Amino acid sequence: MKTVFVRPERCIGCRHCEIACAVEHSRSRDLFGAFFEEPKPSPRIHVELGVEFLTFPNKCRHCEPAPCMEVCPTGALYRDEETGSVLVNYDKCIACAMCAMVCPFDIISFKKVWHVNFLKTVNYKCDHCIDRQREGREPACVEACKTGALVFGEVNEIIRSSRKDFTLRTTKALEGEEAPELPEGIVAFREIMKKVAHLGPLG
Amino acid sequence: MDVKIVKEIVEMRTIDEAAKEILEKAINEGIETAWDRLEAQQPQCGFGQLGVCCNRCAMGPCRISPFEDEGPTRGVCGATADTIVARNLLDDLLVGAAAHSDHGREIVEVLLKTAEGKSQGYEILDVEKLKRLAKEYGIGTDGRSKEEIAKDLALAMLEEFGTVKNWIQFAESRPPEKTKEIWKKAGIVPRSVDREIVEAAHRVHMGVDADYVNILLHALRTSLSDGWGGSMMATEISDVLFGTPKPVESYINLGVLKKDMVNIVLHGHNPVLSMMIVKAAGDPSLVEYAKSKGAAGINLAGMCCTGNEILMRQGIPLAGNMLNQELAIATGAVEAMIIDYQCIFPSITFTASCYHTKIISTSEKAKIPGAIHMEFHPETAYDTAKEIIKLAIDNFPNRNPDRVKIPSKPVKMMAGFSYEVIKEALGGSFKPLIDAIASGKIKGAVGIVGCNNPKIKQDYGHVTLAKELIKRNILVVETGCAAMASGKAGLLLPEAADMAGEGLASVVRSLGIPPVLHMGSCVDCSRILVLLADIAKEMGVAISDLPAAGAAPEWYSQKAISIGAYFVASGVFTVLGLPPKIMGSPNVTKLLTEGVEGVVGGKFAVEPDPVKAADIIEAHIEKKRKALGI
Ligand code: SF4
Ligand code: SF4
Ligand code: SF4
Ligand code: SF4
Repeated sequence: MKTVFVRPERCIGCRHCEIACAVEHSRSRDLFGAFFEEPKPSPRIHVELGVEFLTFPNKCRHCEPAPCMEVCPTGALYRDEETGSVLVNYDKCIACAMCAMVCPFDIISFKKVWHVNFLKTVNYKCDHCIDRQREGREPACVEACKTGALVFGEVNEIIRSSRKDFTLRTTKALEGEEAPELPEGIVAFREIMKKVAHLGPLG
Repeated sequence: MDVKIVKEIVEMRTIDEAAKEILEKAINEGIETAWDRLEAQQPQCGFGQLGVCCNRCAMGPCRISPFEDEGPTRGVCGATADTIVARNLLDDLLVGAAAHSDHGREIVEVLLKTAEGKSQGYEILDVEKLKRLAKEYGIGTDGRSKEEIAKDLALAMLEEFGTVKNWIQFAESRPPEKTKEIWKKAGIVPRSVDREIVEAAHRVHMGVDADYVNILLHALRTSLSDGWGGSMMATEISDVLFGTPKPVESYINLGVLKKDMVNIVLHGHNPVLSMMIVKAAGDPSLVEYAKSKGAAGINLAGMCCTGNEILMRQGIPLAGNMLNQELAIATGAVEAMIIDYQCIFPSITFTASCYHTKIISTSEKAKIPGAIHMEFHPETAYDTAKEIIKLAIDNFPNRNPDRVKIPSKPVKMMAGFSYEVIKEALGGSFKPLIDAIASGKIKGAVGIVGCNNPKIKQDYGHVTLAKELIKRNILVVETGCAAMASGKAGLLLPEAADMAGEGLASVVRSLGIPPVLHMGSCVDCSRILVLLADIAKEMGVAISDLPAAGAAPEWYSQKAISIGAYFVASGVFTVLGLPPKIMGSPNVTKLLTEGVEGVVGGKFAVEPDPVKAADIIEAHIEKKRKALGI
């Protein structure tokens, strides 16, 4: 099964992923159109501040087994067998928030979506961009992320390639070669922001 | 919100005791401030912070991945991270230079109108300075009226905004020869105030300058046209019109507002407005009018640099610096906040709408939705000033006493240290200061300047750095919000010598001055330039040879970028407390923090921790002392 793998050290908090996700789930699927829609689309990925100005793009991990699915009393949550995605049947969702209570990542929240009756709020978590996946495209957030913080693929494939990287860096270091994991600009910037964090209200 | 939590939040946001009281009130009353908005903005875009996002043309917006192995490495036009970062920096800098210089031009225009008898309420106050400047510009003074001289001087300065003359007088007659040689060699002698700014705007257009080194050199030249051009004119002509500052005593922090008086806060930058309000507020008929409305009188308080202008010349108390603007309104005691331009939060009218405060905008270039616009023109300045004050008085009965809270303890301070005053205090020459430096009593001097930025606890960067430096026998001169921070912390008093090292303390005690000298507004950073230039000239060296440095611990504005750059271009090592948006290009970062020193003698460093900043400044000063053999 393919997944959206997060490499948090590469997330720079630009929130492109959030915008792309919101647009993908708008009725018009168009940035400018989305502005005028009611209800306004919201991102299903959440880039929030942790410590020292570092960020983490948090979204549904499409667990297997999925705690949310197990507690849902109405069967609103189900799995798409082809992609392994945990999906919500908005018509069945009663917004009881049982799922939100058990989600280990706290990424379930509720709002009105254009797909169902406007009067009702539903669990609008990440749907793994199921429509795009069915067209053979990668999820919108992954496409939007220009730093490589979000990667879409078979989890073992992704890990294999970062393992290779690690081996390369380690052996280089043994040879006395410089093999930084991150570019110097980023490292220097984060060093400075770490200090800023401790001098201001956001620390 | 829980009292304890509110207190904790407040402690994290500011060290200004008076501000803490009002911030607490603001939080309890649900008033949004810049700190809340900063929080709501988190996380802030990394591309923007690193400077690798380009939103200039319609093929974009583009961004360069800071991770070399992944993501785009060029914009649609082909610009690399180096090009984009350098262009963005030049763009910020040109905006800052334009802000200073446009302000300067307005003052010169008021001088012209005053000379022609077309302005109302203005006069030529410092005739001696007028004559000195005329001489510098090669304008005859013998047997001529001050109006005739002023007209020629104003026209000569306005000429330097254009392109026909192609050189700037102050940049020619004031810097040490060695510094000018450095500029010539680097090809960064400023040609005209507006020309450099317009050319900078041209260069950042797609398909013009792509070479980051070339872009940054022009950035330095543009900054010099600000520091030694527009800003310097602003300072000098303000002195001519309103008097050259002399030492004055006054008070600072939100506690300067008065319970029983009509409180008017003057916020913004140009003394052309604020000095006229000061003049009109003294009008007995207005004072009577205020009394008729139940007030004991009219109380003026400054905010940001226009506050510094009226403090320096008239001793008008200061309500505070940049991050105090919303809090002043949240006292519930401000009848009117009169604004001109720069550093005024666009949300200020929103804040005011929660109280009875009226926001009065006065400049045609700076309107804010929700403000009452009463446009200010030199021709009718005095009348407009009176009208504005009247409007404030009319608003006094609308104040709700139940919502008023004014902090109890304004802090005493001393300001007014113009270049002329410092020279006079030293007995007419810089020799005593140079001797004190040579003997090691004073190790060197540092200009701490710049703004507030909610990312750093308000005033903490400024005050900690100033305290650290004076402790190490380094004299501190300040302008802008930095100077106000020191004022609030009690550093602008002769008694603050107790916090200074022995050597520095003995010198400032003998002169009866504070160890931290308030030199004025942000455009008055030009006073620091002249001070450095004259000390260097007396020693026969370049500015870059002096045991001196600059610092902007809490900067936020594009103007600060221009100031930092003209410090560096003039040869001053300058430490920034927050990183400029350049770190997405290691090449640009290296050039500005290392390579540029070989070109102009000054360079930048970034160090948020003010104690560490003091360490690197002290090390720099020691290095320069050694090179001078002292
Ligand atoms: S919603 Fe939470 S629990 Fe359910 S699959 Fe997604 S991450 Fe797992
Ligand atoms: S909120 Fe909706 S999806 Fe979640 S458990 Fe309840 S019914 Fe199921
Ligand atoms: S996979 Fe699709 S739905 Fe899920 S967070 Fe990314 S863009 Fe949003
Ligand atoms: S697009 Fe990528 S880098 Fe930007 S916030 Fe999302 S995960 Fe982070």
